[in-house]
Amino acid sequence: MTTSILFLVFQVVAVPTFSPLMIGIIRKMKARLQGRVGADIFQPYRDLRKLFSKDEVISSDASWITRFAPYVIFSITLLLGATVPLVTAIAPMIPGRPDLLLTATGDFLVIAYLFALMTFFLALAGMDAGSGFGGFGSSREMMVAALAEAGLIFSLLPASFLAGTGHILDMIGQLENLPMTSAFPLFVAFLAFLIALLAENARFPVDNPATHLELTMIHEAMLLEYSGKRLALMEWAGANKLMIFIALAVNIFFPWGVAFEFSSLQSLAVPVLIFSVKSLGLLMLIALIESLMAKFRIFRVPDLLFTSFVLGMIAVVLTVSLTV
Amino acid sequence: MIDPKNLLQRFGLGITESKVEDNRILFEINASELSSVVRTLKKNHALPLKTVTGSDERAMGRNFRIYYVFGIPKENVFLIPFISVSAENPSFPSLTPEDQEFSMYEREILTFFGLMPIGHPAPERITLHSENFPKDIHPLRKEFRWNTPIVEPKEKEWPTFKKYEGEGVYEIPVGPVHAGIIEPGHFRFSVLGEEILRLEPRLGYVHKGTEKLFEALPSERQVALAERISGDSSFHHALAYCQAIESLASTEIPKRSLYLRMIMAELERLANHYNDLAFIMLDTGLAFGGSQGTRLRERVLQWHERLTGSRFLRGVLAPGGLLKDVPKHELDALRIDLIDLENDFIEVMEAVSESLSLLNRLQNTGRLERSIGEDHGIVGIGARAIGLERDARIDFPYAAYDSVHFSVPTEADGDVYARYKVREREIHQSFKIIHQSIDRAISSNGPVSIPIGNLAPNAHAVGLVEGWRGDIVYFVLTDASGLIMRVKVRDPSFLNWQVFPYLVTSDMVPDFPLINKSLNLSYTGNDL
Repeated sequence: MTTSILFLVFQVVAVPTFSPLMIGIIRKMKARLQGRVGADIFQPYRDLRKLFSKDEVISSDASWITRFAPYVIFSITLLLGATVPLVTAIAPMIPGRPDLLLTATGDFLVIAYLFALMTFFLALAGMDAGSGFGGFGSSREMMVAALAEAGLIFSLLPASFLAGTGHILDMIGQLENLPMTSAFPLFVAFLAFLIALLAENARFPVDNPATHLELTMIHEAMLLEYSGKRLALMEWAGANKLMIFIALAVNIFFPWGVAFEFSSLQSLAVPVLIFSVKSLGLLMLIALIESLMAKFRIFRVPDLLFTSFVLGMIAVVLTVSLTV
Repeated sequence: MIDPKNLLQRFGLGITESKVEDNRILFEINASELSSVVRTLKKNHALPLKTVTGSDERAMGRNFRIYYVFGIPKENVFLIPFISVSAENPSFPSLTPEDQEFSMYEREILTFFGLMPIGHPAPERITLHSENFPKDIHPLRKEFRWNTPIVEPKEKEWPTFKKYEGEGVYEIPVGPVHAGIIEPGHFRFSVLGEEILRLEPRLGYVHKGTEKLFEALPSERQVALAERISGDSSFHHALAYCQAIESLASTEIPKRSLYLRMIMAELERLANHYNDLAFIMLDTGLAFGGSQGTRLRERVLQWHERLTGSRFLRGVLAPGGLLKDVPKHELDALRIDLIDLENDFIEVMEAVSESLSLLNRLQNTGRLERSIGEDHGIVGIGARAIGLERDARIDFPYAAYDSVHFSVPTEADGDVYARYKVREREIHQSFKIIHQSIDRAISSNGPVSIPIGNLAPNAHAVGLVEGWRGDIVYFVLTDASGLIMRVKVRDPSFLNWQVFPYLVTSDMVPDFPLINKSLNLSYTGNDL
């Protein structure tokens, strides 16, 4: 009983607790790669604390969307964070009610469309206050999101075919035991997923999370009208989203070292270590991409996202030919 | 000594009366002859127009005057026709309908003197915008005191912008307050999706009354004012001012100070070119190039401080030379460090030259047609990037630029990449110049300044230098007792802002900041 409560709590708070750390680490890595010292890795927590203790200004032209969207978006990331496998592949359970497994949001299609719902509210909020920049951000975000969605779904399909299930938790259990021959289609699918990850999380070469130039922004442009607590929620939700994507990437495409049982917190030590190493590797890759290349012209972004889709298709075809 | 008659005849001008002041020939023409004289000089003989400005000389028993300053390249001679405009009929013929380049100058005269250019297609003020300033003030008229309190008008008149209409076309207002630490300027975009159909910049938000202040400040504080017109060009602005004053005083300054001035001027160019390359790369998101470029700039700024005590080379120039000598061991140390600084730069540029993602952003972005640049009198980096070999260091050699070897790099394409390449290649030329100047400075002993004599009365001097953006022109006038009564500053940005809308048309909105950075124009230098 206590362990399952403990586990539930762990699963719910893990993503919001550690996601700012990931942002901090990625910024630190980028700084070092660019020859700067950089702020320490806990800076995003301080930023959040600062924003939460500030007053906010909401445009008088804004409707309920502006007020409401941060809660919706943050809640979606909480929900996904609670169900996506981090270091364990066990469905969290309401204590005492084993029939109520929190598994409904574990299906990869549901995950993809919960992200789409987030984007939808974000884009609405961007346009809501009526500023020119917000409109730009929203229109660009919708272009990117519409194209990235195909890549996202097709990059998860091969894993689903191989495992014979659409549910992330079951998928990981199946994938770990697959023969090495299936590694190749999974690797191709990982490339497709990586591009979708970069696009969905407003990273290079699609968007520049570090820019102050309103005219070039995508994600940040939609947040320009936000301030104070709601901005903190939006920023935090963005960090959560990145962590969820990273968890998906490392657990589905590199499904080793995930725990399938939970007895005590101590038993999670090794899985946590393995998860950290894998995530750090992925964060490093993102930091490298952001330090070594220029951002794409916006009209080359569709080419990139199309590449993601095509890679996903190839992975699907390879998988099907393997399994038949 | 110049023979004015022969010279004017060479240009087909039958002017009988003219006044020669050192290398400047002034002659009065009638307003009715203006168009033909200007056409002869500018069109037929392709003389570059250096500045056009007014001056209120009513206190000297004259009228308003409008001077048209032309330079003769390679000969270092200036032809200055001028017209008189009376206060009773405060208007003069506009040359804009036949030549774009005059447009802003004429609007500037309208703004500050209240003289109307007749025939100008859009005679609007360039600063002192009517939402903040009353309409009837003309600050450069002598009766306007520099400390007159300005009363904001009750009835504000807001600007109107040209409208593009059609399905899917919309307007985005940007600025004058921006998200980063950038100077204020308003940009009105008409866009179709992401494509820019039209850009209308509205500047003039940083009007500081600079030219009026020159008339109010005592002469010993005027260098400091020149240094603060455009902070990144402190040295070059002060240099142009000092050269104008030295020419008014007919003072030959010591050789050693000339070489030291060249070293400092080229160091300022280096620092800014490094900075621009860094920010061009940073705006494409190439953070590596951004941090390396700013690191290189920092190395140069530290040299500035070591040589002069100021990171921006302020407080070192004065009419008559320099306020501070640089000892030999520092010059030797600089020479050694320069070699390292150049190799460091080469290494960084090699590392980024293989970045296809960078090339892809720079090439074909922000392209300027050569003819549009020529029509608007583009100067500096922008001009050299469309293949116009314009450089005051070659065309009107000052200091001792005629005694050192260097070349003027040009590129043909006129896009962001061409401006980026021009900067990269100019950096190598600057190193060449500094090395030669160090050699000469070390071998020429003696003082670095001499006291300047009294300024010639009723005189007109031109101070012309090639700042890192382009040429900076100072036109300085003295009154009957040899006191400075008018200083006209022409920053390169004043001309280059005019071509800016053409650069971004049919480019995409997200590329605008990059194109903006590729020219990196000064707002304060434009708004004065």
